[in-house]
Order: sequence, then structure tokens, then C-alpha cells
Amino acid sequence: MLTGINKIGDLEWEVPIGYVPDMRVPGRFFLSRRLAETLEEGAVRQLANVATLPGIVKHSLAMPDIHWGYGFPIGGVAAFDMTEGVISPGGVGFDINCGVRLITTPLIEADLAGKKRELIERLFDAVPTGVGAKSAMRISNKDLSAVMVDGARWAVERGLGTEVDLVRCEGEGAMPGADPDAVSAKARQRGLPQLGTLGAGNHFLEVQVAREIVDPEAAKAFGIAEGQVCFMVHCGSRGLGHQVATDHLRTLEGALPKYGIRLPDRQLACAPIDSPEGRAYYGGMVSAANYAWANRQVIMHEARKVFAHLFGIDYDEMRLIYDVAHNVAKFERHDVDGVSMEVCVHRKGATRAFGPGAEGVPRQYAAVGQPVIIPGSMGTSSYLLHGTTAAMQKTWGSTCHGAGRVLSRSKAKKEIRGKELRERLAGEGILVRAHSDSVLAEEAPDVYKPSGEVVRVVHEAGLSKIVARLDPLGVIKG
Amino acid sequence: MSFEELEHTADVLMRVRGADLAELFAEAGRAMFHVMYGPCEERGVERRIEIEAENLESLLIDYLSELLFVTEVENTVFCTFDVDLRGTRLSAVLRGEPFDPARHSAGALIKGISYFGLEIVKEEEGYVVEIIFDI
Repeated sequence: MLTGINKIGDLEWEVPIGYVPDMRVPGRFFLSRRLAETLEEGAVRQLANVATLPGIVKHSLAMPDIHWGYGFPIGGVAAFDMTEGVISPGGVGFDINCGVRLITTPLIEADLAGKKRELIERLFDAVPTGVGAKSAMRISNKDLSAVMVDGARWAVERGLGTEVDLVRCEGEGAMPGADPDAVSAKARQRGLPQLGTLGAGNHFLEVQVAREIVDPEAAKAFGIAEGQVCFMVHCGSRGLGHQVATDHLRTLEGALPKYGIRLPDRQLACAPIDSPEGRAYYGGMVSAANYAWANRQVIMHEARKVFAHLFGIDYDEMRLIYDVAHNVAKFERHDVDGVSMEVCVHRKGATRAFGPGAEGVPRQYAAVGQPVIIPGSMGTSSYLLHGTTAAMQKTWGSTCHGAGRVLSRSKAKKEIRGKELRERLAGEGILVRAHSDSVLAEEAPDVYKPSGEVVRVVHEAGLSKIVARLDPLGVIKG
Repeated sequence: MSFEELEHTADVLMRVRGADLAELFAEAGRAMFHVMYGPCEERGVERRIEIEAENLESLLIDYLSELLFVTEVENTVFCTFDVDLRGTRLSAVLRGEPFDPARHSAGALIKGISYFGLEIVKEEEGYVVEIIFDI
């Protein structure tokens, strides 16, 4: 374990003030001994750097999938005072509202027998993936403005989903406060042809089976049963979001002297929340986040059509359980030392995990807490969890977002052959479809921390509780 | 001169070298396209870009970000970067080929260029910079 860090609980560690100069609050992260073996010093330093930002409240936090990124560590969570505090694109990332949604079907695994290959091929044809992917949809600039304001609702109003879908998304599939004028012409140009495309990297559309139900009561509330075939969509705001992040990072970086903000890392460029630059970033980020919700809605619609056609099931029988964002900054009300206070919560590679009764949890899930969806890496399990009161108290209602890498892409390419991996997974009954085998090597299960271990830590630390484990049956990759 | 990929768990970290600053910028472009698309040939696509910034590091980020924008919206892959640098003003002629999914799908989509640790350093033999590409 690294030096200079204090263990303050079974799974909880503290980075004391002074770990790097100018820290305003201590850092805290959640990790098992096993995961601590792969903890990078750079990630802890980034966690400590976040603690130097003006207006940070209580702690700079990281979830057990913490790893070295840029700006905030991946898995980083921090809340900022609405008047003294700042907003930073480095606390959100380039892929604004990268997120996950999980949909159940009325099928069981046996129903896929003899049709799985065809299912995966049809999904691959229906959802554009990879570098250079372009959508079959043609939307105008006016449509794009509406997408950025209305999010998933924009798609539902055009018949690409149902009203029920909307209440089963974080924030009902759109954040308030979008400012399409804060989205550059370049970002629009990138966003126009990409609505309904998966993108590349770790993004995927996966067919899964609910292999194990851990919490039957919560599973019942979420509408998922053992043996049920499901599918999961993991993607974000595509080129539009990347451009919004790039543009505003540049503006905020230039505005640092104006606000007298000194930073240990330029990637943490930020501005007061209620400043012209801060407001512009927020409005642009919300626009991109809403684009991402529309994007996942369109992809889900296309996948539902494939399932309906191939298996003769009704569109409405494929029920969205929930859609979560894991790269976003939001204005939320939280309890701070007994006082209810509005703060700007940044989650970079972290998932909102609001507990039972919290504001913003859909009514039908209120008794259980919001569904939390943690995607596995290719070939490994994904998990459905629920939010907790402990998360509300300790982590601004946040939990992990995934497994976290342990092997670089360059090493993965050297050590793993995509074709062999594809064949090995097929041997395990997992069909993989991508444009190229080398993409598979970079995203192989071996390059990630075991997702089960990360999820076990948040479960035992009480930041969210496991409801079900889902195993992959087939996946399309970018 | 050259570029090489260094170890980085989450993203792609490239060390780029150039005998002078213009070459450093040209190599940085080549490194980025190598990550994104792999092999590329000059096949008649030519594009000019011009960028100005307040310092060299910001210029490098703006230049690479502009390349990301151009490759995505124009569906082009570039392999040579003829860079003319005057102070912190850059003009470059890019040459390459149209994006071909069959030949260019082996790489990784780059989401952005990180400011983290980005510093252009003068060495005896020229210039060096380490760049993190978010993928």
C-alpha cells in the first residue's frame, strides 16, 4: 500500500490534508486490500489535487474503481458549494453523460437457442458502431437544439420509445438548464450525424441473462427475475460531447487568472459556478448530457425492434429498468452536517446511487432506492444494485461505475490476440461482434479489475447493494 | 524524428520528439492518427488548417483538437503533416486519404487531448512532449 494514506475503516481510506500542497479538505476512498494492490500513486495524487479546488465540501472522494485519469481520477466524486465553489470539465470528462441502461425482455436463455448468432448480427446491423459510425437518422439543426433541451423525451415524442421509458431514466432522461447557445457550431456539426450511434472504446450493446438474484425483494420492485434475458446499452454523447468538453476546457483554462484560481493540474481548469464561464460550461454540458440520453433512447429503440422482429415479442414487453449517467455534474440537494444544502456534485466515472425515499428516485422504486447499473467488461458479469442511505451520507449518493482498467492498451495488444479471445469467448457461449479483432484485445476482460470485486466493495461498504448479477451472452462493440 | 507509446492504464500516453518545434507538431499529429487509425497512405486528400494560441502548449492542444474535429466531420485520415510554425501561429498542410472502415477500424477513437502533464521540453537534440489522449 502507498505511504501517507490512513486506513480509517475496513474498506475506507483517508488522504490527509498535506498529501499535496493547498488541500482544503481530506480525500477519502473505498478499497479492499486486493484492489489496493493495483492502486496507482498518480490516482491518489489526482484525488488530492481535487481537494485543492475552491469551495469543495467535506471530502474529495473516490469509488473502488479509482484509477489514474486526468484532472479528477476516474471514480472521483466531489461536491462544491454553490456560491464559493467551482465547476470543472475535468470532473466530468470528455464523454459527457457516458452512461448505461438496462432493459428486460420476456425471453429466457433457452429462447435464444439457434438464434443467438443471428440476433447479434442483426443488432450489429441496426446500431452503427466504431470509429466513423454515422446514423441512418437525418436531423436538422433545429432538431438538434430540441434534442439538447429535451433529451430522451425528444426521441419518445417521435415514436422511438414510450412515456414509461422516461420515468425510468435518471432525471427522466433530461437535465434542466440546457443552453444550446453554449454548444459550438463544431460540436453541432459532430453531433448531427451521430445520434443513435454507439461509438467506440469500451462502449457496447450486450445481450445478457439475469444469472443470479441476490435481493429478491428489490429484484421484484425492479421487475427482473432469474433466467430472464436482458440487454444493456453503454455509450455517451459522442463527438458532440467531446467537442463541448474541449471548447469549454479551453475557455475555462484561459479564465483562471481572472478568478485568481491556482491549480496543480491545468486539466482541473474551472470557474465559479455562477460566473459567465461556469454558467456557459454548465449549459453546454447539460446540452451534451441530454444528447446522450436521446442517443441511448434511440439505440434501445433499434434493439427493441430487432428483438421484437426476431422473437415475435411485443415492443412494450421490453421494459427499461433504468438509465444512469456516470460522467456528469449536477446541482443536487444534500444533507451537510444536518443542514439541507444545494451543491454541485461532479461524478467522473461514478454513478448516482440515491437511497430509499430520496428526491429524484422514481416513485415505483422509492422504497428500494434507485437502480444502479454497473457494466462489466466484455465477457464478465454486470450488476444491478440499488442506492442506499449510507451513500447519501458518505458519498453524495454515489457509487462505482465499472471495473477500472489494470492493463494498458499497448500491453493488452501485445499480450492478447483479438481473434483468440473472440474464439475463447465463443467457447464460453459469449458471441462477440466488432469491426476488428484488435479492438477486442484492447477491451479484453483481462485488462480490467474483476468487476465482482469492485461491486463487492461498494456492497460491503454499503454504498449500494447488489440486487442481481447478469452474465453476457453476446455483445456488439464499437 | 519519432513517437513512442508509453505505459498508461486508462488512456494512451505518447512521447513525441522533434528536431525543431514544427517537426514536433508534425510528429504529434502523426502519433494521434497512428492511435486512431493505424496505417495510412497519401491518396489525394489535402487540407489546410491555421491556428493561433497564446502559448505553445495551448497551440498544441488546439491543433490536435482541430485535427480530431476535421477527421471526424470530413471522414479523412491524415498521414503527413507539413507544419509551418511562426511563434504561436501555426499553419499546416495535411495529406492523407478518405476514411475506409475496412482499413482504418483497428485503432481507438480519441475523445480529447488532456492538459495533464503536457509540457513541451527543450532538450539538446530538439524538443520532446508527452501527451495523454483520452480514449
